[in-house]
Order: sequence, then C-alpha cells, then structure tokens
Amino acid sequence: MENLGALCILLAFCFGCYSIVGSLVGVWRAKPYLVLSSQRAVYAVWALLTTASGLLVYGLLAGDFRLAYVAAHSNKSMPGLYKFAAWWGGQEGSLLLWAWILSTYAAVVVFTNRNRFHRMMPFVTATLMVTQVFFLILIAFVVSPFQVLAVGRGITEVPDGNGLNPLLQYWTMAIHPPMLYLGYVGFSVPFAFALGSLITRQPGDAWIHTTRRWTIVTWMFQTCGILLGAGWAYAVLGWGGYWGWDPVENASLLPWITATAFLHSVMMQEKKGMMKIWNIVLIASTFFLCIFGTMLTRSGIVSSVHAFAQSPIGNYFLVFLALGIALTLYLILDRLDYLKSESRLENVLSRESSFLFNNLILLASCFSVLWGTLFPVISEYVTGEKVSVDAPFFNRVNIPIGLFLLLLTGVGPLIAWRRSSVDSLKRAFLAPTIAMLALIGGLMAAGIFHFYALVSLGLCVFVAWTVAAEFWKGAAAIRAKDGLSLLPAMVELTHRNTRRYGGYLVHMGIVFMFIGFSGAAFNKDSTVEVNIGSAFRIGSYDLTVRDLKEGENENYIWHHARVEVRKAGELIGTLEPERRLYKSSKQPTSEVSIRRRLNEDLYLNFAGTSNDGSKAVIQAYVFPLVSWIWVGFLVVLIGTWVCLVPSKIKMQFARTEVVGVVSERHVPVKS
Amino acid sequence: MSRLRVSALTLFVAVLSLAQTASQLTTPGIRRVGERLACLCGACKNTVANCPMLECHYAKPAKEKIAQMQSIGATDENVIARFIKDDGLKALSSPPAEGFNLLSWVMPFVALLAGLGAVFAWIRHYRKPAPAMAELPPELLDQYRSRAEKETAGFDE
Repeated sequence: MENLGALCILLAFCFGCYSIVGSLVGVWRAKPYLVLSSQRAVYAVWALLTTASGLLVYGLLAGDFRLAYVAAHSNKSMPGLYKFAAWWGGQEGSLLLWAWILSTYAAVVVFTNRNRFHRMMPFVTATLMVTQVFFLILIAFVVSPFQVLAVGRGITEVPDGNGLNPLLQYWTMAIHPPMLYLGYVGFSVPFAFALGSLITRQPGDAWIHTTRRWTIVTWMFQTCGILLGAGWAYAVLGWGGYWGWDPVENASLLPWITATAFLHSVMMQEKKGMMKIWNIVLIASTFFLCIFGTMLTRSGIVSSVHAFAQSPIGNYFLVFLALGIALTLYLILDRLDYLKSESRLENVLSRESSFLFNNLILLASCFSVLWGTLFPVISEYVTGEKVSVDAPFFNRVNIPIGLFLLLLTGVGPLIAWRRSSVDSLKRAFLAPTIAMLALIGGLMAAGIFHFYALVSLGLCVFVAWTVAAEFWKGAAAIRAKDGLSLLPAMVELTHRNTRRYGGYLVHMGIVFMFIGFSGAAFNKDSTVEVNIGSAFRIGSYDLTVRDLKEGENENYIWHHARVEVRKAGELIGTLEPERRLYKSSKQPTSEVSIRRRLNEDLYLNFAGTSNDGSKAVIQAYVFPLVSWIWVGFLVVLIGTWVCLVPSKIKMQFARTEVVGVVSERHVPVKS
Repeated sequence: MSRLRVSALTLFVAVLSLAQTASQLTTPGIRRVGERLACLCGACKNTVANCPMLECHYAKPAKEKIAQMQSIGATDENVIARFIKDDGLKALSSPPAEGFNLLSWVMPFVALLAGLGAVFAWIRHYRKPAPAMAELPPELLDQYRSRAEKETAGFDE
C-alpha cells in the first residue's frame, strides 16, 4: 500500500512537471494539442493524488501502524471521525491535503474554462501546476506521508499508535482545518488568473469577472475556517480564548485581510477601470501570504501551540516565496502600461476615496499583525535578545485600527460614487451619529466608562443604522412602486442587486462580531475551591457543586463535576464541566461547559479536586456578549451566499465620458 | 539577629506560598502585574494574569512569585524588574518601548502614515481636473441632465 501511495505522489509530480512544460512550450511553439494534453495532465494529477489520499485515509481507518504517519497520529481507540481527521492532523498528511485540494481546484478550473481564454489558460494552468509541483516535491522527497516505520529499524510489528493530540480530538477538528485549507488553496486560482492575464496582456477585466465568484467562495471558506477555529479555541480551554493572537492564528488572518481589501478594491476596477496594479498586488499578496502562513505553521520560525513539529521544509518555502514574489514583481513592472487606469478620480468625497481608505486601513492592520508576529524573530536577530509580543501588544495596536475600519464600514455606503456634496453627507450622517451619541450617553449614564467598549458599541450602532437605512430606503421605494409589504420588498431589493445588499449583510455580520468583541471589556472570572454541596457566586449566578463523577472509555478516563446554576434563587440549569486523561498520550484536557445566551455566557471549567478529594476546583467565567461573534459569523455567511446569487437586474457600467460631464450609463438587462 | 529575621521571613513567605490556593492567586494586585508579564510556558500566548491553565508550569509559579514579592512590600516595578532579571526581556508581554524594540510600537503607525501619504499622492495624481462646466451652453447642460435623469430613473446604484 505504501509503495502504491508513494508511487502515486511521484507520478503526480511527473504529470505536474509535464503540465507546466507542455503548457508553456505549447504556447511558445503554437501547438494546441500539446496545450490540451498538458491540461489533461491536470486531471491525471488529481486522480493520482485522490488515490494517494484514499490510501492514507484507509491506512488511518484500518490502523496500519507500519506507516510512521498513522502510528504518530492515530490509534485503535480513537473514534472513526478523528481517525479520518488525522489525515490533516500532522505535517505530512496536511501537506497531502493541501496538494489534493489544489489538484481538485486545478481540475475544476481547467474543466470549466476548457473552451474559454485560449491565450490565457495555458499560463493559468502552468501557474497552478508550479504551485502543485512545489507541494509535491515536499511530500514526495522531503516529508513523505507513506514512510514506513520498519524500514531499516528492525521493527516488525507496531501494536498501536500514539493517537491524535487530545487537544485536537474535538468535533471542529473535522471541519476547521479543511475549511482553512479550502481558503488558503483557493486563492491560488484568482492569483493564477491574474498572472495569466498579466503575462498575456489580456484586454479588459476578464480575470476579475471570471474569478469574482471564486474569490468570494474562497473568502467565505477562509472566514469559516478562522471563525470555526475561534469557536474551537473558545470552547476548549488551553487554546487561550477565541482569539489569542497566536502566530498561526495570525497567519490565517493575514491573507483574509488582503483578500477582504481585494474584494473591495476590485469594484473600483470593475466600475471605473481604476486600481489595476493595486488589484494584482493585492491578490498576489493574498496568495503569497497563504504560502507564508503555511510556512509559518511548519517551519518552527515562531513558536505556537498550533504549529506542527519543526521540520526542514521552511527553506523550501522561502525559496518558493522568493522566486514567486520576484517573478510577480517583474511582470507587474514590465507591464505597467497595460495596467494603466482608464479613468480618474472626480472628487475626494466619493465612494472611490472611501474604498482607498478602506484598503489603507485593512493593509495597515495586515502589516501590524505581520509585524507583531515576526518582531520576536527580527528583534532576536538584531539585538540578540528575544522579546515576547503577546495579546496586549496586538490589542493596543489593532483595536484603534479595527475601530477606524468599523467606522469606514458605516461611512462607505453613505458616500456616492463619483462625488458627494458636503450637504448630502451632513444629511446622511445626522441620524446615525445621533443614534451613536445617544447610545454612548446611555451607556455612560449606566456607569460604563470603558473607552474602547463605548466607542466600539457606539460605532456598531452607527454602522447598523446606515446599513438598515440602505435597506429601508430601497425597500420603501419598491413598496411605493410595487405595493409590496416590507419584507418581500426587502427580498426584492436584495435580489435586484445581490452583490450590494449581500455586502451590506456581511457588514452587518461584522457589526455583530464587534458587539461580541466589545463584551470582552466586561469579562469576569473567579477560581474557587469549593466543597461538594457548597455554593459560590460569580456575576449574578450562584453556583453549587452537586457531585463529582468519574469513569472511563476506551480512549480516556473522565472526571466531571455537576454544577447547579441559580439566578436570583431560581434554578436555571446544570453545567457539567469535565476533565479527561487520554490513555495513550497520558495528556489531560478540559472539556468546559458553557451556558450560552445572547447577553452573556457562563463558562465553567472543572480544574480538578483538592489533594484530599473533598473539594472541587472550579474556574468560572462570565463572558458578556460573546455569542454575538457567532451570530455575526452566521450573518456574514448568509451575506456571502447572497452575494453569490445572480442579481435580477444586471448593471453594466460603461466607462465612456462626454465633454465636461461624465456619463455613466446604467443599462438594465433582464436575466 | 538580622540573618535570623531574614531566614524567618523567607520561611514565612515559603509557607505562605505553599498554602496559596488557586483563588488566592487571582487577586487584583497579582492580576495587575500579571497582565504585564508573558506566560512563557511555550504553549499559549497569554499573559501570566489570564493564562487559563490552573497548573501551568510557568504562570502558576509566576503568580506565586508575584504574591510573595507583594507580600513583602515590593512595588509593581520591583516585581517586573525581578522577572526581567530572571528571564530577560521576553518576560514582558509586550516589548519595552525603548531602543530597537521601540520600532515594534512605532512601525505599524509609520506604515499607516506612509500609506496615508501614498493614498493622498494617488488621489492627487489621479484626480481629474474640474470639468469646464461654464464653457458648456446651458441648454446643452440641461439636455445632458435630463437625459441622465431619464436613463438612471429607478436605479439607486
């Protein structure tokens, strides 16, 4: 089995190389059949990597502990779901998953564009396959997932494996990493189209129109990956809360930020033919940050609880990044003429300017996260002494930037394309500003003086008001014209321009998330040693430890506390936090118990018992508003789906000008 | 006598630390100082104050050390200085704003300002000169306006 798996990877590597050479030579020598065969090689790569992945998964499920990877990341007592998830639980398997997802994407791209972009597609294929071959080099020659334990070591039988790290044995493990990979890998596709467009000097914005949905879907996967990870980190004690500014968490955030900037600035290119260089830079940055993030997780450059074991693959990534960035920069500089803007900015007070500032703030936050993540390495290199850059640094630097970004989220929709007058802005800003100030005043009257919380919640109201007003105004116009009631009018409005109103929903989701982040200013916690039957208090809750129970199953020994929760004397529920000791790894974990509500979460951890066993040690936390983060996530998801639905009325934006007055014709086309 | 007193005080502090329970290690004073210190357990990126691991091999002894020093009257700065002496600058949860490490704080805002400069330069470069509206005959302008209104009626984009 191991031989077949390794052979598949090796053959995939050969086909990948053939596809690169065939694509480029086919274009150079004008041999269409060579180009066609190079595209078919992409399907072969996918088939071979699917077989290799299938074999590894079979090995994990069947418990073939001769394989070093299976022995290191699986064992007999693990549930089937985690055996399957062990595919991406370690370095070698996760690189195979990366390669397999990329091959799947490449096959989909080649198939869906088989009759389009004849000039550009060979370069798109070659770009995707260069990335593919890079990952195949790693899993074929450096960190093979099919290495056999017995080779040269006299081992003939391995009775059981080490099992997956207990912290990874949580249901989210089955979806969080694949979602992140779908995001990371997915950005290769718009990047490949951007590069193909650049190389062939493609007229128009074909690469943008072709990859728009692709980019949105990939962005959605990345968002899901990040937020599922946040949910996981929140619900499993030890990861440090929903966001700990860990280097690996940061690595997933960086390409998300640049991709978000790209999704905004791309509208400038579609509508005004502006920012063409910038969009290429943004999508290239996103792609290279994905590669950088993958490197950060695996190279041991920075220490992280999420990182895989240190390995020599970091240097391979550095070479790939250096060559890729150099080639991209050369292509951009060589084709500056082709990337010239087609129109000019008419007024500083315009939607175009707001997009520029949005991009600036996003990029500033991206830089500050990257800078903070790498600063310990830079500082050690320069001064010889290591420093820690932990959550307090990131919070101090990024909270003001984040709040400014939130403000722009509200300001942007109020500013018209091309130009806005100061009077119209005054009118538009008046109501949301009054609402914001009223909320801040109300909160201060209620005794809340936390500066950032006040500003954040105030801005949340401001943005929510502007978004709601956009829906309200549009729906009111439809009601007046078509006589629909409010909800159907809103649905109709959204359907007419799904991208715009889906985008507003995404903004609303971000507002909900900021409400959740603001709650962190009011967190409470308490750690107590309490007798069975005794009560203690946190916030407005009275908690009584009723009993302690213990037991075991094949995988772990468990010990849990049953805690009754009362509010104003009334029993409102029972929480059962648990402590586990995994048998194979001898590693303890905590399974916290959470009472989730929109106003606050009650979060209990059973940390153990006192030495004589008579007392339970309970860590109790009250996290106000934290559930709004997950509500916001759902709204972001819904908004993204809405963006993917084709609009009922398509807008075409001609970029022609007449003397003295810009003519931007809106031509309705019924789809 | 003095040596005896020091020994007795050390023993007293040691006994206190042994007797300290988890709840005693989360006092406001320990939390205030702990916020400025990094948990160097190698697994998390938390501060000593908010490391959720009750038995964390770094955060727990660190809290005990803070409690000990505070109990004999050490100020926050004394405690921090002691941690820096023992573990180096990495004991701090954020880089100190001095020397080369000042760059860690300054650079994000320098980048933001540089970006702001770049945006304004871009706006200046790409800003179209105001159209020579006065040179257009009013009837032509009205004609364009009415045509634009007619064509964009019903669209809010």
